[in-house]
Amino acid sequence: MLDLVWLIPALPLAGFLLLALFGPRLSRRAVALVGAGVVLASAVVSWLVAYSFLTSPPPGASYTQNLWTWMDVAGFQPRMALYLDPLSLVMMLVVTSVGFLIHWYSTEFMAGDEGYSRFFAYMNIFVASMLVLILGDNLLLLYLGWEGVGLSSYLLIGFWYTDPANGRAARKAFYVTRVGDTAMSVGLFLLFTQFGTLQIQDLMRKAHDQWGMVPPGGIATAAGLLLLGGACGKSAQLPLQVWLPDAMAGPTPTSALIHAATMVTAGVYLIARTHVLFEISPTAELAVAVVGAATLIVAGFSAMTQWDIKKSLAFSTISQIGYMFLALGVGAWSAAIFHFVTHAFFKALLFLGAGIVIEACHHEHSMFKMGGLRKELPVAFWTFTIGGCSLAGLPLVTAGFYSKGLIIWSAYASKGGALGLWAAAVFGALLTSIYTFRMIFLTFFGEAKSEVVKRPGTAMKVPVMILAFFAVVAGFVETPGFLGGVRVFSDFMSQALPDAVPRGSLAMSEWGSEAVVTLVFFAGLVIAYYFFLKKPALQEFVTAPAAGRALHRFWFSDWGMDWLYDKVFVQPILWFARINKSDFIDAFYGAVAAVTRALWVILRSTQTGRVRWYAAVVVAGTVLFVALALYL
Amino acid sequence: MTVRNLTALAPLIIVSATALAVMMAAALRRNHAAAALMTLGGIAAAFASLRAAAVLRPLAIGSSEAGQLLVIDGYGLFFMGLILLGSAAVVVLAHGYLERQAEHREEFYILLLVAVLGSMTLAASSHFVSFFLGLEILSVALYAMNAYLRARAISLEAGIKYLVLAAASATFLLFGMALLYAEFGTMSFDYLAGQMTAGIYPNRAMVTGGIALMVTGFGFKLALAPFHLWTPDIYEGAPAPVTAFVATVSKGAMFALLLRYFYSTGAYRLHSVFVVLAIIAAASMLAGNLGALLQNNLKRILAYSSIAHMGYVLVAFLAAGDLGPEAVTFYLIAYFITTLAAFGVVTALSPADRDAGRLGDFEGLIWKRPALGGVLTLALFSLAGIPATAGFFAKFYVVAAGADSGIWRLIILLVLTSVVGLFYYLRVLVAVFSRPLESRELAPQVPFASAFVLAGLSALLVWVGVFPGTILRAVKAAVGSLRY
Repeated sequence: MLDLVWLIPALPLAGFLLLALFGPRLSRRAVALVGAGVVLASAVVSWLVAYSFLTSPPPGASYTQNLWTWMDVAGFQPRMALYLDPLSLVMMLVVTSVGFLIHWYSTEFMAGDEGYSRFFAYMNIFVASMLVLILGDNLLLLYLGWEGVGLSSYLLIGFWYTDPANGRAARKAFYVTRVGDTAMSVGLFLLFTQFGTLQIQDLMRKAHDQWGMVPPGGIATAAGLLLLGGACGKSAQLPLQVWLPDAMAGPTPTSALIHAATMVTAGVYLIARTHVLFEISPTAELAVAVVGAATLIVAGFSAMTQWDIKKSLAFSTISQIGYMFLALGVGAWSAAIFHFVTHAFFKALLFLGAGIVIEACHHEHSMFKMGGLRKELPVAFWTFTIGGCSLAGLPLVTAGFYSKGLIIWSAYASKGGALGLWAAAVFGALLTSIYTFRMIFLTFFGEAKSEVVKRPGTAMKVPVMILAFFAVVAGFVETPGFLGGVRVFSDFMSQALPDAVPRGSLAMSEWGSEAVVTLVFFAGLVIAYYFFLKKPALQEFVTAPAAGRALHRFWFSDWGMDWLYDKVFVQPILWFARINKSDFIDAFYGAVAAVTRALWVILRSTQTGRVRWYAAVVVAGTVLFVALALYL
Repeated sequence: MTVRNLTALAPLIIVSATALAVMMAAALRRNHAAAALMTLGGIAAAFASLRAAAVLRPLAIGSSEAGQLLVIDGYGLFFMGLILLGSAAVVVLAHGYLERQAEHREEFYILLLVAVLGSMTLAASSHFVSFFLGLEILSVALYAMNAYLRARAISLEAGIKYLVLAAASATFLLFGMALLYAEFGTMSFDYLAGQMTAGIYPNRAMVTGGIALMVTGFGFKLALAPFHLWTPDIYEGAPAPVTAFVATVSKGAMFALLLRYFYSTGAYRLHSVFVVLAIIAAASMLAGNLGALLQNNLKRILAYSSIAHMGYVLVAFLAAGDLGPEAVTFYLIAYFITTLAAFGVVTALSPADRDAGRLGDFEGLIWKRPALGGVLTLALFSLAGIPATAGFFAKFYVVAAGADSGIWRLIILLVLTSVVGLFYYLRVLVAVFSRPLESRELAPQVPFASAFVLAGLSALLVWVGVFPGTILRAVKAAVGSLRY
């Protein structure tokens, strides 16, 4: 059964080709059938493969499918091979399953759109690229997938391209992630030149053998930091997080699939996949943890101040990925992947719920113009609330509680942990709770401010209900010791990723940590209740003073980073472009072209069409070469 | 002659016999389709007999004290197979093309078979005598093929130009051979190899001078600068299927011989020869790519492009080690497929009175004839070396071979001139993809057989570009049997 793995990325790719070539000529029904069908097929194959992987594990808990060797020249042998291990297996299942639910949802959500087949073509190529990225056995395929998801992200953010603002958002996402991509490609080249192999597992083995024994040199740290740069770009972490809020310009299912559940976690995957490097270099590992901790707080504050429901969710995504980075940085590898799984469920759910709400309210994004939708949209309300509780970490019953609690505990207790990191994570949990319930209260409670013009049909309701189910139960595969101590997930992951190593002499128990997390959850709930439901006047009280207003604006604008980047990078480049209208670099290439053209004119004059001249040149050439041969 | 010898020579004998059979058949009763079918059948039979011959290899034929005339080895058989497959494609394309002509058509296939015979002889020859015989069999057939459409002045002009210049350059070749014979007293590659590697040449000038003179002969046939001036005129003037043949089969056969000759005699190790060939490679890359720059006729563009491509192959040729001959052979395969596809489109589009060629003829092709436009696009991508086509991988191989043996100056020139090449390939594509202004006269529907060949060539183009492994193994095996 494992040898079916190649079908998993091939099916969505086939869907893309079909839709790209014949999409405009197909009926909407056929487009939906192809677009969602191939992802469903891919998900079914994934589960079959997973079943076979679990029931009869391959030796070494990994399976490599060598499709073909692309070329074999001078020792350079890039293979087209897929690599399946617990890490890629889990990600593959999430991508195909959540991907299918979102495709299903889209068949109704996008129903009125002109670019119906184009949308599904882009979504399919995204799923195919993401699967190549996850399953690729070598850096070449990893990079192919990495760029593929970047491309489809760009295409989907700018999906409604007639509005220039959407195009601008798409370009911004592309440029900013490109900064990270460049760092990453330099890192990958560095690894390739050091070890001479493209295969990731080989590379990690060699890195471990060569760099693991001696104290880490600068190169290991540099490679780790460069990869971290790539991860920061793709996963919207500080300081490259600025593109993700703008990416919300894309259709809501896109935001759910690409900019919440899957693509933005590619950075987490990259670091987990190359964890050996980070284990070798404590500096790089610490950097990951610090980036994660800083991001989760920074984005948490911003999420609290947004009026646009999708932007609030976008900052929340940034913040939650910050948790994953924190877990990676303290060496709690499987905790990061655990949170990736639960986050994929509840965040996709929240976005899809937001999509229902936005459609219901005349494409209104502002939460302050919604309200009271609890009665009108019961399915959206209940599922959104379940997703929100999971995000904020409602104790004991939600998946988010278990995954986030594990990260917070690891931030303190594992080898790379520290009290400061733990405190940051706890504070982030407070912020999460506040902004989550702010969203719920503003949207679904209070007085109704907008009439409901569209109610979701089956294709939109069923996927969110399924996601809501998983947003609750997905957490029970891994629970703390005092709550049953289920370790299914981490046992499975330990075949691919090392276990978190606890550090000695702890002043706090896991029980204590979870108690604090529970406490901040309720604190956040109460704060949100008072500020946004019970006494909205309290908001005025905080934002009325100049300091309060300035702070609000500061957080609202993503800590002024857009402004900063605009001043430091964008404006100078635009200024330079203005004064350099007749580009001096172009002048060089223009000269090259002119010289080439001049040479062509000269050469043309040799082409007289006269045989005697041709013969004369043959003779002259012969004489020259004979002379050279004789006198050299 | 033993049975072994006859079996080994079967491919050559079958091709000769087919030429005679077609001639007899045409004398009895003219029938175009029958002539084409007989030719194809003969080529197929010859191709099938390669397998039988392969069992016996390596086998020297015509051994005497003067040395062996032909050697049937894996390398020679591989190139014979390539020549036969390429010729089969040309036959199919020519059939569709000649259907539109008022000329007598059957004789074309006789000439073609003779040219194939000459090419195959070149691929197997290991002696100056068989080399020259093969070359002349090929050339004489080509003179007539170039001028085959007697009613067209431009075709006649092409034939006469080719005749004069080919004859002139052949004299240089002969004189070079004579000098080497005078020095070593042998015309067999094996004996030459023995003496040259032993470094016994009393008179060095005779040897290097002789080789330099031979280079003129090679250079002319391969259209390498500065012996390339005939190329655009002949490419433009000759009927499109003939151009396809000149561009692929005749050059492939010549390169097969060149590899065998230079590698088995070790002549390429002589410093002065290396320098001369390096200059020729550089000049060809420059002349080809620059010459095509603002050209407005696709046939002429492809002519210049072939000059450049032969320059690239020469770079691979100059790369030392096993990688060099492998890269040459692989490049030739990719070049065969690509060039046949490109000229196939030109052939299919040519109306009765003239050949398609001006860029205007291809304007909006992709909209008017999506299939033909697609094939031409693929072929141009491959010529430009865009990934996922055969041309990309071939060029990659050449660069890898060159980098491996450190001939950096040539590699850098190759890369730079390839960029120039991109410009004129894209210029053609701009025409292909532009919206047609007015509807121009188009050739009738493409015959089924030609469409089949074009589809096959396009599939091969992509297949070799994506899964080069199979071809690569075959190339390695073939080159491995070329002992030097």
